[in-house]
Amino acid sequence: MNSTHLHWMQEAMAMAEEALAAAEVPVGCVFVRGEKVIAKARNRTNQLRNATRHAELEAIDEILSDKTLTPQITEYPLSTTTLYVTVEPCIMCASALRQLGIREVIYGCGNERFGGCGSVLGVNSDLEHPAHPAYKATGGYCREDAIMILRRFYITENTNAPVPKSKGNRILKTEIS
Amino acid sequence: MSVSSSSIAPEHLNSSGCRIQYSESKGRGVYASREIPRNTVIEISPVLFFGKKEYEKYGKYTVLDHYTFKWKDGRMALALGLGSLFNHSNSPNVSYTLDPCTDSIRYRTARNIDPDEELCIFYGHNLWFDPVDTTVSVINPELEDGWGGLSAAWNDHDDLGKLSNSVDQNEIVDDHSLPFTMLKPPPEEEDLATVRTEALHLVLAWVVDVPESRQITTLLKWLKNSGSEDPSLGHLKRIRKQDGKTTLLLSVDPTPPELPVELELASPFQIPVPSSAALTLTSLSLKATFWPTFYAPKRKGEVEHWSRGKVEWAREAMKVVETEALKSQSENELPISAFMPASYGGGEDEKVAVAHDTRTSNSHPLRHAVLNLIRRVADLEVDKSSSSENGFNYLLTGRSVFLSHEPCIMCSMALLHSRVKQIFYLNPMRRTGGCGGVTCLPTLQGVNHRFEVFLWKEVVSKLVINEALDA
Repeated sequence: MNSTHLHWMQEAMAMAEEALAAAEVPVGCVFVRGEKVIAKARNRTNQLRNATRHAELEAIDEILSDKTLTPQITEYPLSTTTLYVTVEPCIMCASALRQLGIREVIYGCGNERFGGCGSVLGVNSDLEHPAHPAYKATGGYCREDAIMILRRFYITENTNAPVPKSKGNRILKTEIS
Repeated sequence: MSVSSSSIAPEHLNSSGCRIQYSESKGRGVYASREIPRNTVIEISPVLFFGKKEYEKYGKYTVLDHYTFKWKDGRMALALGLGSLFNHSNSPNVSYTLDPCTDSIRYRTARNIDPDEELCIFYGHNLWFDPVDTTVSVINPELEDGWGGLSAAWNDHDDLGKLSNSVDQNEIVDDHSLPFTMLKPPPEEEDLATVRTEALHLVLAWVVDVPESRQITTLLKWLKNSGSEDPSLGHLKRIRKQDGKTTLLLSVDPTPPELPVELELASPFQIPVPSSAALTLTSLSLKATFWPTFYAPKRKGEVEHWSRGKVEWAREAMKVVETEALKSQSENELPISAFMPASYGGGEDEKVAVAHDTRTSNSHPLRHAVLNLIRRVADLEVDKSSSSENGFNYLLTGRSVFLSHEPCIMCSMALLHSRVKQIFYLNPMRRTGGCGGVTCLPTLQGVNHRFEVFLWKEVVSKLVINEALDA
């Protein structure tokens, strides 16, 4: 397992922890260019009341709003950038990344419900696109951590909910198949 | 000329190549019994008048209401002869002229007609209620060229609405006359003889065991009041009684629902449930082994019934889309737009939003119309309330969205994430679209929400964009 990838994935995990602390679905990501993090973000779907505000789109907005990162208008502003994200990008994000010409994606665990890099649909490369180049997406980095943090989220009491309910009798499953 | 003073008897043709024929879907209609050249008068129908008062008091409450033409002076005219038997089409092959001089309506072929072809008129035309001359021809240059473009389906859109006095808005519009077609619906397990159990579409749902029936009542009430009722579970029965245990279906959210603490219930747990209603009895018995499912057999080819009023609602919405797309173009953006109207027959307080593509002006390749629309709706939401109920960020739940173009894969998935009920689009994007083009996301196995996709019948040529673009 590539240690550089592991290093950046741990940064992404830290963002997922931040999401968990904010009662968001714990998914985090960092965008790396030239051995430097140029943006990091996490899910904000609850805060922004918008089910499309995934970590990747949050970070992309950050990158594109910073003119120093993309001094000249270019078709593919992410062509020298690698994304590290704790969960396989969903179909929406996978398409967004391809439209921006991302160089490569490294992710933690797969996403059986929305995964856009092969789990549900191969938006990154299997699906043909008349213009945008395909990109490589590799999973398995910090996979167990990524799954565990999701489980921790689903077992946590949601203090935002109107009628809090005790989940004290729920058990955190630690086995990962 | 005074219309009421007419005294000239209308001509009457009875050998013009027309015959009356029944069809299963439309009932009676007029058909060509032989080849008829373009611009042939095929029928001259004398009319029978109802005075304005008489019509208001009696006529409009009778079946005649569906057949009468509004005459210039407010009288209502019933066409005799074949006139009341022509069916409606959005691309009619027969035009007609009201002739106040002879108190008649002339029907003329708009193009060459083949033998056995049905002869149809367009019901909703301005002429019905706003004639400007004593004799007005409905043939205009656009209609002359075979009703291409949207001229017939679209520019006359006002008519159906304004005609509310003479046309029943609840009348069901024939499928063939709808301005759009529904794309192939999500695959259903219709042919279970050949489908193995594993192929059954299942979703994980939260359920809770409820020991006392009094708790059921409380829970059902709570579900309703808290707005947690999940509309995507409408095909399932709410309660399962099995082995002396009563279990209540809650939601398909990823997070467990928060139940009222005072009921002291056990924790909800997840089980697989069928993702759609049972279409056949075989399917019903199979699905019921997972959870009690409703039986909703569909006749083959059956589609949702659209009333005149609802079709008009859709046309109005699409007109907003077109206007917004052209506005976008005039601002040097791509002519791509998205519109979420209030639901047909829906509440006045429903949020309405419109947006267009801004990828050029924002120097942001992802500022597509759909994402802009969803963001706009979210902004309205944040301003408005601080509620944080489960599912509050499924912004488009139950709503219809109208689009100038088939959305790209990113936008299609954004619509799915937002739980849209149905989308309508004008121009398909064969090579980049995510709702019928390169793929059709709401029909993919695995996704946790489905929505309906309607494709407008006519492509709008002025909105055509490079097919390699993501709309």
